[in-house]
Amino acid sequence: MGNKHVTTENHIEQLYKFTREHFVYHYDVQTELVDHLANDIEQICEEKSHLTFEQARDVSFKKFGVFGFMNVVEQKQKAMNKRYWKILWRFVKEWFTLPKVIITSLIFIIFFTVLQSIYAEEIIFSSILILVIVDLYYLFKSRGKKKKKKKKKEKTFLLESMIGETRNGFSVLVFINVFNIINLSDTNFETMSIYLLSLAAIFATLMCIVFYITAFVMPSKAEELLAETYPEYKMI
Amino acid sequence: MTAVIIQINKYTIKPQKNMGNQKLFKGSLQTIILKLLAQNDKMYGYEITQKVKELTKGELKITEGALYPALHKLEADGLLDVEVAKIGNRLRKYYKLTEHGTKETANKLAEMQEFLKTMQHLVNPKFSLE
Repeated sequence: MGNKHVTTENHIEQLYKFTREHFVYHYDVQTELVDHLANDIEQICEEKSHLTFEQARDVSFKKFGVFGFMNVVEQKQKAMNKRYWKILWRFVKEWFTLPKVIITSLIFIIFFTVLQSIYAEEIIFSSILILVIVDLYYLFKSRGKKKKKKKKKEKTFLLESMIGETRNGFSVLVFINVFNIINLSDTNFETMSIYLLSLAAIFATLMCIVFYITAFVMPSKAEELLAETYPEYKMI
Repeated sequence: MTAVIIQINKYTIKPQKNMGNQKLFKGSLQTIILKLLAQNDKMYGYEITQKVKELTKGELKITEGALYPALHKLEADGLLDVEVAKIGNRLRKYYKLTEHGTKETANKLAEMQEFLKTMQHLVNPKFSLE
């Protein structure tokens, strides 16, 4: 097939497909591996010109060891996780500076007051329920979008899918856990000291902020965050 | 009584040259990457593997499975910055040191020197200068 020493457009396409077949699903990770493989294949073909493109590709892939790209993907995920939390932290900090700190303190005061009322548990449980329902609704909606995107074979970046998905687990799990903790530990807000109550209110406030950021702020700023993280984002 | 036959599969184990060396190098991977980037402004993954091979005359081969995780970690820690350029028909990701990365490189190199000195004392006390 043509000149073996220069990887053609077609070869590059094939290599993207190859990485996908080896469990690399995100475009940013794929791109780096494709460039690496292409470089190595060119080198291999130069040294051993009798090899076909596919053979050279397999030689190159073997160098990644028995687990193939798994280690690279896994570590990339870890590194991106760190980045995700850094971004999240950046947004959380905003809520403790003027003018947003006013809203933050307002949420805190509301929680603090509610916790002291005799209906504390009922109010908290019903708000958790409402939040979970709202969250599930959005989750459902975003699933549909994702499917469409998959059908269209659009490129997905790792951070992009994290912005969309990390919160999936977050909201429902955290809320259900809170529900369980309160229920199982026989927490009685009426007998709690004022310090514990304020601690609970602080925790609840923080949860609300994190929930709001992961569910609404970050997805709405996804484009910006992706462009900031990936220089290639604007190139494709 | 049944005789238990234990079958031992004989694998031919090829003594791999430099295997021990590779292990020794592994812990220094980050320092090696940082040092190379300090000298070369910006580099891409494959270039780094080739450069190391060239500089060490093939003695040290950075494995693909170790290089990229190390690069991604350094990037997440804010030591490296990335640039992407279109080379021919593909995109290439270049890494370069951030300001923080440059400072850290100096630290890591100093650490490495210290380590080498200590090893020298341990392994070869005769030749130590003290």
